[in-house]
Amino acid sequence: MFKNTFLTILIAGGCFLASGQEAPLSTGEEGNIYQKIYNAPLVTSTKQATSFEKLRKEKPLLLGLIFTRCSGVCNPFLLQLKENLQFAANNNSVNVVVLSFDPRDSITDMNSLAQRLDLENDLQWTFAVTDSILPLIQSVGFSPVWDSAKQQYDHDAFLVGINKDGYITKKLIGVRSANDLSLLISSVNNIFSPTYRLPGTNALFSCFNYDPTTGKNTPGLGLLFIALPAVVTVLLLILLSYFNAPKVG
Amino acid sequence: MESIKSKKITAVWIITILTLFVVSIVLGILMRLNQGGVIEQTPVAFYVNMTTHGLTMIGIWFVAGMMAVNFLLQRYVKTSHTVNILALVFTVVGVLMLWTSTFIGKFHAGWTFLYPLPFKIMWAKWATPVFYLALVVLVVGWLIWCLSLIAQILKKYSISQTFAWQHFKKNPKVETPPFILISMITLVGITTCLIAAVVLVALTAAEYFSKGAFVNDALLMKNLTYFFGHTIANEMLYLGLAVIYELFSEISGRPKWKTTWYVAIAWNFTLVFILTAFFHHLYMDFVQPEGLQIVGQLASYFASLPAAGVTVFSIFIAVYRTKINWSLPNLLFFIGTAGWVIGGLGAVIDATISNNVVLHNTLWVPAHFHTYNAMGNVLFSLGFFYWFATLDTEKIYSGKGTKLILSLLLIGGIGFLLAFYIAGADSIPRRYSNYPPELAAGIPLATMGAAFATIYLIGILIFFFNISKGCLKILSSPSS
Repeated sequence: MFKNTFLTILIAGGCFLASGQEAPLSTGEEGNIYQKIYNAPLVTSTKQATSFEKLRKEKPLLLGLIFTRCSGVCNPFLLQLKENLQFAANNNSVNVVVLSFDPRDSITDMNSLAQRLDLENDLQWTFAVTDSILPLIQSVGFSPVWDSAKQQYDHDAFLVGINKDGYITKKLIGVRSANDLSLLISSVNNIFSPTYRLPGTNALFSCFNYDPTTGKNTPGLGLLFIALPAVVTVLLLILLSYFNAPKVG
Repeated sequence: MESIKSKKITAVWIITILTLFVVSIVLGILMRLNQGGVIEQTPVAFYVNMTTHGLTMIGIWFVAGMMAVNFLLQRYVKTSHTVNILALVFTVVGVLMLWTSTFIGKFHAGWTFLYPLPFKIMWAKWATPVFYLALVVLVVGWLIWCLSLIAQILKKYSISQTFAWQHFKKNPKVETPPFILISMITLVGITTCLIAAVVLVALTAAEYFSKGAFVNDALLMKNLTYFFGHTIANEMLYLGLAVIYELFSEISGRPKWKTTWYVAIAWNFTLVFILTAFFHHLYMDFVQPEGLQIVGQLASYFASLPAAGVTVFSIFIAVYRTKINWSLPNLLFFIGTAGWVIGGLGAVIDATISNNVVLHNTLWVPAHFHTYNAMGNVLFSLGFFYWFATLDTEKIYSGKGTKLILSLLLIGGIGFLLAFYIAGADSIPRRYSNYPPELAAGIPLATMGAAFATIYLIGILIFFFNISKGCLKILSSPSS
């Protein structure tokens, strides 16, 4: 119990300290992108010692951060991830690491979790614990908060994409769709994914208007603004020519 | 003919431009030294320098072309002295405001100030509006100048004559001098891109003051930014070419060039192509329709063909097996044309979509635009400066002086550009303040670039020192 409280304080303290440093720790999906993940030593379900570096050199990684005693989002998150992964594009191009951020979890707990999810023999999935969770969660921008009343961590469903070079390329917060997962997989494989801001009512002059029902773009008012300078110039030329016409004779 | 008032304002322009040029070169050298690890700048200082360097360079070499055209245009039509002074005042005020926003306000969104970066405040809050106000001052001043020159040309020539359309037929009754044709084509192009800048600033202001009620379309803003930025950076080259068409044969002791049907056609096409080539800046913007990307590639190819082909052909014919009175101005024009063509080829390579996938945002980009500017357009203007400074006096340079200046500019310029080209071909990205270990190859090349740029700077300083005598003499001469 003492160990748990101590480590929880340590995690919270670390997060607090990190927030005061030059590179602020962001809990959003934009934070820590293109930073390297901390190369934490890992103990996996086969009780073999390994590290992030070894694992990510084999294949890009999707890292899910959970704890086995979670009564909230962890189980639905993992179940949804397992299901979505079957339908995601290029799903065989990545491996998944499920890592506990709770110091109380042992590798036995993680093995039990893998069995419950029917993933204990799936080579694509690795269930692991580490003794260096604090620098690791700092490096990905994950900030669980210990709720002593509920004896639970208050945390997000958190999936991190790590490419073969160890860089965090994209993060997904929350239980997300197979499409989002496909984008994450493209990202860790360094494949470009087009994204754009959705049109709002305050964007009056879009070059193209996207119709989500047909998936087609139609020319918008904005295109007129691109043609406008040429039109104004021609009008100015005509006006200047009219008022400055050479005198005949 | 040119009045003493006109000579005086032109002398002020030249001194102002060369002073700003020296400062801007120093900023460039500091950036390359920082990339080379020789000095240590903060990233903010680096990007402040980059923003100031880029915009000042574009601005000064644009006005260098404009004031040269303004001066030479007086051989054909009367130009407004008041507007010339107004343009000078607007330019100086605009540059001072720009430098205030960058050096004091630390605005550092790059010379392209690509939307929405200026709204992501990482500098003094007031710096963004001051930066845009500086743009407004510059654009308004230049637009008035352009329209004034166009109006003066139209007082003597009809629209069809200014575009030399009568030369499409045999034996035209009226001849349009090449200088008038090229000046008009270029001034119309400049007017168009300055209006694009007005639209761009208006849309930016609308978003800035709407407090979220109105947001811009990033694709529209990028199109307008490059409509303005790319086009003005190219049109200023054509101002330099107008000067060459007017002065090269005259200085070389050869008959004056005439407008022929192919010259007329080439320059008319150039107007269309130069205004549509900017689409090549949006190859990476997947939402831009493919048709416009193809227009961008084709226009980039064709824009270079008529003007470059005809000009190079004309200059080649003028010098081939011909006795030429070689002097510093026509040597600068000649070497500048070569630099322009080489830079143009670099640009066409980059503007080819399949190559752009590799070269996009690498140092190849600054390589090619520094080639046709530092070793092209700048030399055109330096040739004019020298010719102007020695108009009423005996030649300032001895043969040795000419050789020294040319040697320094050539050695410095070529070495400086090679460092960019080699790094670009090696996929070293542009706009990095420091190179991480993965891009270590860029470090020695940056130092090399700085060293050669310093040699180029020495050449410019000697040139400046020498012609300043002529300019000061003109300024101190009696007004009547």
